[in-house]
Order: sequence, then C-alpha cells, then structure tokens
Amino acid sequence: MSDEEHHFESKADAGASKTYPQQAGTIRKNGYIVIKGRPCKVVEVSTSKTGKHGHAKCHFVAIDIFNAKKLEDIVPSSHNCDVPHVNRTDYQLIDISEDGFVSLLTESGNTKDDLKLPTDENLLAQLKDGFAEGKDLVVTVMSAMGEEQICALKDIGPK
Amino acid sequence: MQGFPGPLPDLAQLQSTMVAIERACSLIQMHMNPAEAEKIINPLRQSSMPYKTCRFILENSEVPNARFQAAGAIGDAAIREWGMLTNENRKSLILFCLHYVMEHASAADAYVQLKVLSIAAQLVKRGWFDFVEAEKIGILIEVKQVILGPHGSDVQSAGISFLESLVSEFSPGTSTAMGLPKDYHEQCHSSMELNYLKEFYCWAQSAALNVADKIVSCYANISEEKVCSRALRFMFQVLNWNFKSSPNALDNSSSNSNSGSFGIRPDMGLLKKFERSLVEPGPSWHDALLSSGHMLWLLNFYAIVRQKHSSDMLWFDSPLAVSARQLIVQLCSLTGTIFPSDDGEMHIKHLTQILSAVIEWVEPPNIISGALRSGRSESEMIDGFHAMLSMATLTSTMLFDNLLRSLRPFGTIHLLATLTCEIVKTYVIKNDDEQTWSSEALDILLEIWTVILGRSGNDMKISAEGISSASNLFSTIVESHLKAAAESAFEDDSEADYFHVSVSRRDETLYAYALIARAAVETTVPFLTRLFSERFALLSQNNERMDPTQTLEELYWLLLITGHVLTDSGEGETVLVPEAIQDGFSGVTEESQHPVIVLSWSIISFAKQSLDPKMRNAYFSPRLMEAVIWFLARWVDTYLMPIDAAKGQLGISGHDEGLQQHPKSSKKLLLSFAGQHSQGEIILDTIIRISMTTLTSYPGENELQALTCWKLLVVLVRRRHVCIHLVALESWRDLARAFANERTLFSLNARLQRSLAETLVCAASSFKDLETSNQYVRDLMGPMTAYLVDISSRNDLEAVAQQADAIYMVVHCLLERLRGASRATQPRTQKSIFEMGCAVMNSLLTLLELYKNQSTVVYLILKFVVDFVEGEVAFLSAKETSILVNFCLQLLRIYSSHNIGKISLSLSTSLQSEAQTEKYKDLRALLQLLTNICSKDLVDFSSFSNEAESTDIAEVIYVGLHIVTPLISLELLKYPKLSCDYFALVSHLLEVYPEKVAQLNKEAFEHIVRTLDFGVCHQVCCFPFSTFFNDRLKPSFIYLNSIIMQTFHSFLFDKF
Repeated sequence: MSDEEHHFESKADAGASKTYPQQAGTIRKNGYIVIKGRPCKVVEVSTSKTGKHGHAKCHFVAIDIFNAKKLEDIVPSSHNCDVPHVNRTDYQLIDISEDGFVSLLTESGNTKDDLKLPTDENLLAQLKDGFAEGKDLVVTVMSAMGEEQICALKDIGPK
Repeated sequence: MQGFPGPLPDLAQLQSTMVAIERACSLIQMHMNPAEAEKIINPLRQSSMPYKTCRFILENSEVPNARFQAAGAIGDAAIREWGMLTNENRKSLILFCLHYVMEHASAADAYVQLKVLSIAAQLVKRGWFDFVEAEKIGILIEVKQVILGPHGSDVQSAGISFLESLVSEFSPGTSTAMGLPKDYHEQCHSSMELNYLKEFYCWAQSAALNVADKIVSCYANISEEKVCSRALRFMFQVLNWNFKSSPNALDNSSSNSNSGSFGIRPDMGLLKKFERSLVEPGPSWHDALLSSGHMLWLLNFYAIVRQKHSSDMLWFDSPLAVSARQLIVQLCSLTGTIFPSDDGEMHIKHLTQILSAVIEWVEPPNIISGALRSGRSESEMIDGFHAMLSMATLTSTMLFDNLLRSLRPFGTIHLLATLTCEIVKTYVIKNDDEQTWSSEALDILLEIWTVILGRSGNDMKISAEGISSASNLFSTIVESHLKAAAESAFEDDSEADYFHVSVSRRDETLYAYALIARAAVETTVPFLTRLFSERFALLSQNNERMDPTQTLEELYWLLLITGHVLTDSGEGETVLVPEAIQDGFSGVTEESQHPVIVLSWSIISFAKQSLDPKMRNAYFSPRLMEAVIWFLARWVDTYLMPIDAAKGQLGISGHDEGLQQHPKSSKKLLLSFAGQHSQGEIILDTIIRISMTTLTSYPGENELQALTCWKLLVVLVRRRHVCIHLVALESWRDLARAFANERTLFSLNARLQRSLAETLVCAASSFKDLETSNQYVRDLMGPMTAYLVDISSRNDLEAVAQQADAIYMVVHCLLERLRGASRATQPRTQKSIFEMGCAVMNSLLTLLELYKNQSTVVYLILKFVVDFVEGEVAFLSAKETSILVNFCLQLLRIYSSHNIGKISLSLSTSLQSEAQTEKYKDLRALLQLLTNICSKDLVDFSSFSNEAESTDIAEVIYVGLHIVTPLISLELLKYPKLSCDYFALVSHLLEVYPEKVAQLNKEAFEHIVRTLDFGVCHQVCCFPFSTFFNDRLKPSFIYLNSIIMQTFHSFLFDKF
C-alpha cells in the first residue's frame, strides 16, 4: 500500500465533519446513509437502470437511527452519498435525576449530564430497575450528526 | 330397505334432529358462529348408529347442506363402526347410497349427490375384501345397467360419476384415509387394476358410443352430451391410473434392444415438465384400446363434431371437446407391452393415426395463429402440441420426422418448425397481456425441440429437410427477437423481485433456441456472424450522429444467443465444445474460414473495443458490457486452451510430420486456434485487460463487476494450465499490483474484494516451485498485512479509527481481502497464508477491541478467523497450532467480554431484529471456529509432532465452550442453522472428550445440559430443517441420551 495514499488525517477535532462521502454502489444493507439530513441505517437496497442502457441507480430504504422513521432515496450508483459518522461510546451510569436526565462518568473522570433517559420503555425499565438495585451499569451512547441517544446497557457488576 | 342398520328412532325425534342440523347448516352458510354450528353437527357424525337419522335427513330435508352433512355422517360412522355392522348392513348402506343418487340424479345441488357417491365408493373399498365376489358383482352389475341402460341420461351420468369416485378412491394418491395399513390400499389398487379397471373402461366406452350417434346427428340434448363428456372424462381418468401390472424392467430391456431398429424409444419421465406421464397398461388392454377400433372411432367422432361446430368459437372449451381431446392426447402417450413385439409396426401405425387427426388442430399454422389472435380458444392447439410432445418422446428423431410423410409431402420437423415460427412471432409481441397462450405454446414447442435435438448418437439424425427447416426457424427466431429487442431498448430496466427467476427462464428458452441452431450449424453460425458484424459496423460508422441504444440492445441479445449456441453452461464442471459444433463444418481446412472461429474473433475484437475510452463511453453501456463479460466467461471456459487440445499437443509434439500429411480436420482447427501455442495467450491478455476495465471504469455498476469477479475471473484460474500462462502475463501482474498497492480497486463492493483476493491467490498454485508460489502470495498480501499492523499500532488510533472512512474504505476492504485469500488456501500456499494470518493476529485483537460497537467489523474479523482456521488447521505443526489456538482463545475472550449481558434496544423493530440477526451470525461464526479447531484432532497433515509442545485441543474447546455457551440462549437455539452448528460441536465434544465436559464449572455444565435437554425435546421440530441433521447428527443424538447419563456419572464422581 503506497504510503501517501493511506494516511489517516488525524485531525485535532475528529468530529469536525459529521459525514463523509461514499459511493452509492458500495453502500450495502446494514450500512449507514444520510437521507434528508437525517442519519439512517439502510434496510433495503435495490438497483435499477434509466433505460436499459443507462447507468445503475440505487434505491435505498433506510430507517432513521434516532426516531425510527422510514426514509427513501434514489441515487445514481456511481455518485457519492453522505454517510454519517456513527459512534458508540460506553459510559458508566452514576445517577438518574428526577427530571429525566442521566449522569454519566466519562473516561477522563468528568461527568456528562446532558443526556435524557431513553424513550424506549423496555430499556428505560431495565435501566431504572438495575440502578435501583444498585447494579453497576454501563450504557452505550450512540452519536451521529450532533445527536446522541442511549442505545444499550450492560451490567458489569462483580460476579 | 332390508338390513338397514341402527335402531329406529321415533318420528318426532327424527324431525327435531333434522331441524337442528338444518339450522346449524344455515349458520355455517352465513358465516355466523361456525363453532356453535359445529357443536350441533359433530355429535351426529360421532354418534353411534346414526344411519336411520341420516337417511331421514337425506330423504326429507329441503336444505342441501343438511343432506350433505348427513351423507358425511353416514360415511364417518360406517368406517368407524365397520366391524360392528353385519355384511347385510354394509351392503344395504352402499345400496341405499347408490339408489338415493339414482333417484335424485336430475335433482339440483349436484354436490350432495357427489358426496353420497363418494361415501358409497369409500364403503365399497372398505368392504372390498369382506364381500364375496358375487356380492361385489351384484353391486357393480347394478351400476353397469345404469350406465348402459335405458333409465335416462341423468342416471347414466350418475353411474359414471360413481365409477369416477370409485377409481379415485382406489388410486393411492387420491384415496381417503380409513385408519387401515397402507398395504390395504395397495392391495385394493392392484385388485382393481387386475379385475375391474378395464371393464369399467369398456362400460364408459359403450355409454359414450350409445349417445355418440345422437350427438353426431345433432339430436342430442344437453344431458346426453353430458353423458358423453363424462364417459370420455372417466376414460381419461382410467388412463391416468398408475399401472403396476406391466412388468417395467422386462419391458424396458426388450424395447431397449429393439429401439435402434425401428425407432420406438423407452423414454420415461420426460413428460414430467407438464405433469403428464406415459401410459403403460400392459398387454391385457390391447383389445380394449387398440384392436377394437376404439381409437379410430374416437378420432372420427371428434372430427365430425368439430366440423359441426366449426363456426362456434366457444365449442373448443366445452366439456365434451376438452375431455375428448384429453383422452386422445393420453392415448397418444400409450406405450409398453400393450403393443405386440412387431418391430413397433403397430405403435407407429397408432401414432400416425393420431397424428393424422391432431394435425387438423394445428394446421395451417398461420391461419390457426391468426384465429387465435382474433379470440379463438387456444386449448385445441395446445392439446395438439401436447400430443406431438408425447410422440416426440416416444420416437427417435428420424421416426418422429417420418410420421407425417405418409400424410404430407414434408416431415414432422418441418411442420414443427413452421408452427414454432408462428408462435415465436406472436410471442415476441408482448404488448398484449391477454395472449399468455403464446408463452405456454412456445414452452411446449421448445420442449419438443429439446426432446428431439437434445439426444445423442443414432437417436438424433435429421434429414436434410429437417436441417433446412431448423435453419429457417432459427433465422425467424433471431430476427423476431432482434426486432423485439430494438423496440424494447428504451424501456426502463428495473430489477424486479423475480429477476433471477426470469434470468433462468430466459436461459432455458435460449438453450432450446441454441439446440435448434446447432441442428443447422453450417448456416446458423455464419448467419450470426453476419448479423453481428453488421451491427458492429453500424456502431463504428456511427460517429455519434444518432442514438445507438437500439443497436446496443440488439448486440446484447446477439451476444446472449451466440453464447448459448457456441457453449454449454458448465456450472463448475469441465465444459466441452458442443458435439454439433465439433462435428460440423467438415469441409473447412483453413482456420480463417472456420465459421465458429470467425464468429469468436469478431466478438473478441468487438469486446476489445471497450478498452478504448472513447468507444467505451460512447457505446459500451453497463448492460452491453454485462453481456460481453458473460459471453467471454462461457467462451473462455469452452474454447480457450481446451483440455482436448492440451492433450493433443502433448501427443502430437513428436509427430509433426504425421500432422503435415493429413489435412487438418475442422475439429482440430477449432480446438487449437485458441490453444496454448497459438493465440491463446493474446486472448487471455485481452480478457484480463477488459476485466480490469470493468472493475475500474464502471464505478457503482455492481451487477457488471459481480459478473466479472464471480464468473469471468473465476473461470480464468479454474484450470491449472491456463493459470500457468496467466501468471506470466504482464496484464495479470498489473492487476495483482493494482490490487496490492493501489487504491483504485477499493471502490469495489466488499464481497467482490473477497472474491478478487481469492481468485488472485488461487493463481499461485500454478507456479512450478513451492517457494515462488509462496512469494507470489506474500507480494500480493504483504501490503495489506503491513498496513493493518501499521494502523493498529498508531498512538492516535482511537481518534483515527472512529473516522468512518477508515472503517469502510480500509478496514472492511482489507478484512474481506484477507478472508478471500484464506479461502483460497491450498497445500502449496499454506505457508505464506499462515504467515499472513500470524502477522495480523495482534492487529485483529486491537481492532476487535476498538470496533466492538461496529458489528460489521466484528463479524468480518470472526469470519476471517473461521476461514483462516479452516484452511490452515490441518497443516500446522504443534508450535504453530498453539499460536493459532491461543489467538483464537484471546479472540473469544474479547468478544465475550463485550457481549455478555448486553441488552440493546432500538425504537424500530426492524432495526432491533437486524441487531439480533447480527448477533446470531456472530455466534454461528464462533461455533464454526470451535468446530474447525476440533477438526485438528481428526485430520492432521503436519509432518512431525512433538508431544511436549502439542496443544490439547480438547482443553481449548473446553475453554472456548466456557466462553461461548453463556452467549447462546435457548431462544437462539431455535434457529436451525445455529442449533445445527451448536449441536455438531457439543455432540463431537461429548463423544470424544466426555471427561472434559464433566470438568466444566457448574454454570457452564448446567447450561450445556439444559441445551441438550432442549435439543432432545425439540429434535422433532428442528430435524426437518436440515438434512445435515439427519445425516450426521441423528446418530449423535441417539447417542446423546446415553452420553448424558454417562456425563452425569463422571460429573458426580468429579464433584463429590
């Protein structure tokens, strides 16, 4: 691999760009894509052509990863699509406040207090019950394009 | 009626039961409260001796549904209480049913009568071996008199219906369950066939004869026509009987020995495509079907009635016409020992006789198809085709052709060609949705062609006339399809749900066309060449003045049909040049004049044009390119350095003078023009360059690139002697270099990366010496491993790694490539692949840690390790094994620590189920990994083993299982593939190392026992999912039960 081509740009602020371009033809099911300004996960891809001898177009059906709305888009397969950076970060749960916010411990030892409880009832119940029982809980926070949401939790309590 | 079973209830009670049943029936009919209604009706069916009540309802109720239910109740009760009834009772029940129907033969609501008849038929069958012969005859004689007799045509119809029910009751496929052994049904079947079936047939025949005169002279009323069509339908049903008595084996061998001499073939099962079968009733039917003039009568009868109704378009679909034709077609499929052994004379006469009648249904083709287009029913023509298909199946190609010669100045193949021309012309005009008949008709016609042309040797000789008809037909086919292609060129092409189905159907049609073309290679191949060159020239002269789309679509279609004509689809097998093409062109002595070679060159030089960017942008659309690649893949497989030629070269090398003396045969020309020592290499070079172009110059065209990777490149490395030339070519090295060092190929879809890596590594096996092979792989894969190691050891990795282009562009591609390379592991390259794997082990662990939340990356890593272990494990020495095994364990630990106890949820159910699928796939990969490691104990090719260093595989699996079992929930075991993998592993472990299992800690052990328990309880539901289970795991499962006990014992000993 020639060196000059494969350097990762280690930008000072890794979150500076919220999206990056990727060729539509290489985006597969289960990949991410931005449709109408929303970060989505692709659940269906089909291709078609404009006229038999035209170029391929990709038809995406995708689901907004934060609000679960279904979105669709058609893009020529050689064009680039915006793909969101989707990060997941683990934090230890410190507290659940009465007004529906959680308090999380970051890796550097600070707290992060700007996240709301998840709206999903199942996850919410697990979180509240586990916390009430005094379990050590780690939550996974999914972030993309400036939005954040708790998407998973794990009990790391002593065995 | 004497002997009618059951106590006699009083009239008031009968009345009230009837009213209740009637009410329940009307409830059902109005879809109101069916459960309530069932509660009322079921007791009647289940009560003891309800016969008198049922009879009362049948005779008195005004509600047809109530009568229907009563009849059903009689049947249920009688079958259930059969043993309690006296013979007198049984007979009286049957006779009651029969008489009831005869009396009500003209009543409305025929379904009630049919139900009663079927009950009668069931009871007759139930008592078939209880009644003495005279009793059976007594019942049947009554039926016979009704059928032949003078009681009116409604009663006649009812009698025939009874025979229909009886025959269908006695055929195992359509019989009613009676709670008796299967043997009973078999005995009934053969008893019926031996003693009564033919007689029934004759009764129906006489019934038909009796009314036929009236129908012919147009004096028949509707019910008499009904009798006739019923009788014919019943005869058809009888001929569909699965005849057992004719000794098949004997029949086969006798016809086999004769088949060469007179052309009757013992083909079996060829009619299956249209759910029809050959009829082999055996010699005893000779008098009924053949010598009695029955056939002639039937044909004449149909012809005369048809003549009378010639102006009535609807008549062709009338029951009489349909059943008469069905019977004729079925009689056409007659074969076997019913014909005397007179060298097929009688059989041929029989077929000719039918053909003389059937030909009226299909001739003259243009007028018939015209009539059909203007709305006439197609059923008669379709039946005619079916009859021809039967004839084609039963005769050799020559005989089939000759059948018509006594009637017409031309052969059957000529007629068939003319018919196919007409149908193809209609078929390609697809704008009318209602004319689906053309597709059905074309299907049958092409099946006939496939039958007569798909044979080999003596059975497939065609007259000169046949060849010229085939040639004309092929021209028509190509011209009509080209016209259709040009017209459809501007339609949108959307990938439909049935895309692949439609492709395979299209291929089937094209295959049949190709057979027709191959029947007349001398003319059809030059014809294709001319058409192709014309269009090619059109493009070259075009100078972008006009829209080339139509020409492109024509070329697309031409490439497809040419591919089918010149090559067979190999599907992984070694492909040979089709026989007709090898043997044809006997007069050709110069390579430059061999039509197949000319055609091949013209297509290759056309394909070569795609290397010119200007030409490519102007004309080589993705779709056209797909056809080019598809054609090249098939062509390379067949003609490039063919096996025969390779052998020939070896043999010939010493006898060059010998070769000079004989003029080169056309076959040799064909097999050597693209051989190893002529232009083979140049063509290979061109093809690699074209593949490079499709991979780099058609961004985002997945279909095209997939064809290139999965079809064309795979074919190139399939044969070793081609590979030898391949790896020496500069263009191949360019491809390898681009793959290893450049970023251009990163834009390919990830799965294609895998296949590309696999193909490139595969080629390594062609080097003569081991070290060169391994060096080739190192050069190819070295940059990837170096790169992975490089990024995983960066200090700022964490910040960089989350940049998504790092994930998608690089990590994905690299992992897929590593996986592809390890899938191509061969003994020769095992060493370098292992080095590759070792080099990235630590990096992979880092990446697994880093990308724990990127499920796709995790899955890729797991899958790579699975394939890597599978390819390598058998070859490794003790030391290498321990490296590999330690790595795998670390991998398992990291994976497990990330995933145990994790609950992830999402707002969207579809995203949630996606997440579960991902997890399920991960687990399967882990189990496969453990199973692959297990195989080290069974298959070990390593040269020496040092006891001290060797790893205890059982120990490893033991640790592995500890890690994996908590992740596997009973819920997940409901997925058949996962549970299959899981139990494959566990049963292997329990069989081979029960003591290790006993040492598992309490939780893990309990978990395994729970899963075993689950497996044992659910084996019924999970077995059918997989044949693998049946073949390999069932013995283990039986064994498991004893193993569980054994394990428990050692467990107890261990713990206490």
